[in-house]
Amino acid sequence: MKKNLVALITHFCVISGLLISFGALSLVDLSSNEEQSKFTGELEKNVTIRVLENDTAKETGYLKELLDAFNEAYKDYGIEAKDANMDQYTDLETGGPYGYGPDVLYQANDAIMKYVSGRHILPLPIEELECYEHTSSKAFDAYKYKMNDQTYYFGVPVNIQQPLLFYRKDLLPSDWKEKWDKDNNDVPDMVEYWSSLYSYSKEIVDNSSRQKFGYMKSLNDGYFASGYFFSYGGYVFGGEDENDVYDIGFSKNDSYLGGRIIRQLASVMNLECTEDTITRNSYSRLAQGTYFATMTTPDVYSLFIKELTNQYIKEGLSKEEASNKAKENLIVKDVPLLPKSGDLLDQEGPTIKMKVMGGVNGYAISSYTKAPNASLEFVKFATSYSMIKKRAQMLSISPSREDVSKEEGGLNDMIYENLNNGDIYVMPSVRELAQVWTPLQTFCAQLADDVLNNKGKFETDESIKDGLKNVDQQIYDAIHTLNS
Amino acid sequence: MSKDKKRIKRRCKKTLDVIITYCILIIVAFIFFFPCLWLILASFSKSGSIYSFDGFFPKEYGLDAFITLFTDTVMYNYQRWFLNTLFIASCSCILGTLLTILTAYCMSRFRFKSRKAMMKTTLVLGMFPSFMGTIAVYLIMTQFHLVNQMWGLILIYSAQAPMGYMVQKGFFDTIPYSIDEAARIDGASNFEIFRKFILPMSKPMLVYTALTSFTWPWSDFILPKMLLQDKNLYTVAVGLMSLGETEFARFAAGSIIIAIPIIILYFCLVKYMINGMSAGAVKE
Repeated sequence: MKKNLVALITHFCVISGLLISFGALSLVDLSSNEEQSKFTGELEKNVTIRVLENDTAKETGYLKELLDAFNEAYKDYGIEAKDANMDQYTDLETGGPYGYGPDVLYQANDAIMKYVSGRHILPLPIEELECYEHTSSKAFDAYKYKMNDQTYYFGVPVNIQQPLLFYRKDLLPSDWKEKWDKDNNDVPDMVEYWSSLYSYSKEIVDNSSRQKFGYMKSLNDGYFASGYFFSYGGYVFGGEDENDVYDIGFSKNDSYLGGRIIRQLASVMNLECTEDTITRNSYSRLAQGTYFATMTTPDVYSLFIKELTNQYIKEGLSKEEASNKAKENLIVKDVPLLPKSGDLLDQEGPTIKMKVMGGVNGYAISSYTKAPNASLEFVKFATSYSMIKKRAQMLSISPSREDVSKEEGGLNDMIYENLNNGDIYVMPSVRELAQVWTPLQTFCAQLADDVLNNKGKFETDESIKDGLKNVDQQIYDAIHTLNS
Repeated sequence: MSKDKKRIKRRCKKTLDVIITYCILIIVAFIFFFPCLWLILASFSKSGSIYSFDGFFPKEYGLDAFITLFTDTVMYNYQRWFLNTLFIASCSCILGTLLTILTAYCMSRFRFKSRKAMMKTTLVLGMFPSFMGTIAVYLIMTQFHLVNQMWGLILIYSAQAPMGYMVQKGFFDTIPYSIDEAARIDGASNFEIFRKFILPMSKPMLVYTALTSFTWPWSDFILPKMLLQDKNLYTVAVGLMSLGETEFARFAAGSIIIAIPIIILYFCLVKYMINGMSAGAVKE
């Protein structure tokens, strides 16, 4: 009798457990549709939306203009948007569930998409947005998530990020037109071709006894260094949407040529290129003239201008003169072309366009917001033509809206085209991306260190290939050990 | 002759001993003082960036970093951070001192059930670093809606302060129990004995407790970083960490300013502090 009772209770518990589990799972299946149905179109009245924006938007005064304009437009509804006043990298997962996160957040696609699996952000009805037709579909793809054969979008793109070359025009040799413009296109070869930049850097380093440098960059920085591997066929994750975390491809195709390039670049730098020092000191070193060029993202343009202006003030110019001279002399352009052979000593051979890692920054809406419709209205407003245009002008960002980027022209148009042409490898929007950086960073640092300390570990192509295979394996292990 | 020689030898030995001791002390003092000196000099750097230094020290000196610290408040509102820190540290100091002194007094003067067990438990719990419980603290604070509230921090600091009551208890143990008995015969209640007799005799210990209760919240980083998300509520430690990459001189200037009040406090109250520390150390 006792045994039967125990068996009955156990049976009951198992059945209840199964029912609860499947019930919960079916709820999960439904939840994305349900979440999207939060957007009824009926604006919540008398609500306050907290907006998390980046520091540059605040510093330049753009955020204030955006909030003022929105609040003015929606004052009749009693909707007020205000600055969430939090760290720009605030993790929604930490405070969001407890009600301390923002309602609307502006972050990079990899940061935003990591919130999807925890359902911290809402899938958005993007077709309803005015910007939908004017924005690159590739930019929207960065926020795409497939679930049960349905595609959801969790963010609205605003800005395309890609590494660019920053250099000092006044540090070019006076005779560059005669000696450094082999194709007579009025573009100095050292900023047009990596092989020429390498030669010029070598010349500077040799003539200054390693006190001055040409191109300088922290080569261990995976975000920037990965471009050398991508250009020769490497990739992060394979698959149709480049999200297959079982297919890791840093060692695929001729990516080892990228490793060769990193080694050659390291030879014209110093040991600081194996760690983060150059990333931090490039602003002042470029201003001092210790470095001729570096590669970084356009959002830090104002920091370079600030340092260069200070340098010119020190040299005796007035503030206005210094600022104008800094803007005139600091040139930002697309990254140079790589030699197809993967050898920077190859000055005459064919070249290829460098494929760089990039990202798409945009808006997302927190699942914990009490005013989803008002938040969506804010996103609509902030991604409208006039606001994106203002943003591009005030923040020097590259808009993902085609109309604005075409109108602004120059770098904006070029970056937009790079994205559409596939020259920007958009950071995969999966949580597993976090496991990529450390193995890649370590390997790139080893490549540079190998040259600068004459260790001879990666002198052959085979050794670089093995190193890259090891990187892939480490990433695979990190992802699948942590997920298992 | 031999006696004189011995005396001279002894004197030489003593002098040499003093010289060596002083040399070691000077070297040690220099090692400890050098980072402070470097930070002070860095705060006066005109360029603001650590990478424009001429070797180890700034090339040019100026007050720019201090001026920017107090004038450029759009992104980094140092004055507000300073006032927030002062408010949190002062309130925690008052509440924490009160709770610590009361705990120590109870443990010293009263005999009650499981007193020993409580003492042992607090002693063992005190051995664990406080940051071990940060996640639990965060979750508890979310349930009480005390995240993004300065009072949340004050509550934690004040509640944790009595865990270190042992020094104070040691001090109260040195005050003769006969004083309590005499007061009780004259009709004083427990609270009156504490307030009118024990507290006036515990001035050094009060100062010591207040100072230690003040310095912890004044310089803490982990708890405010976790609990304060609104930039307007930041303390100086959290605010300084949020400064941009090119703002090193401002960071150094902010660190110097935050150190000034605590240095002044130490110099003014050092006498009481030493008395307090030594008084609580031994049981007579």
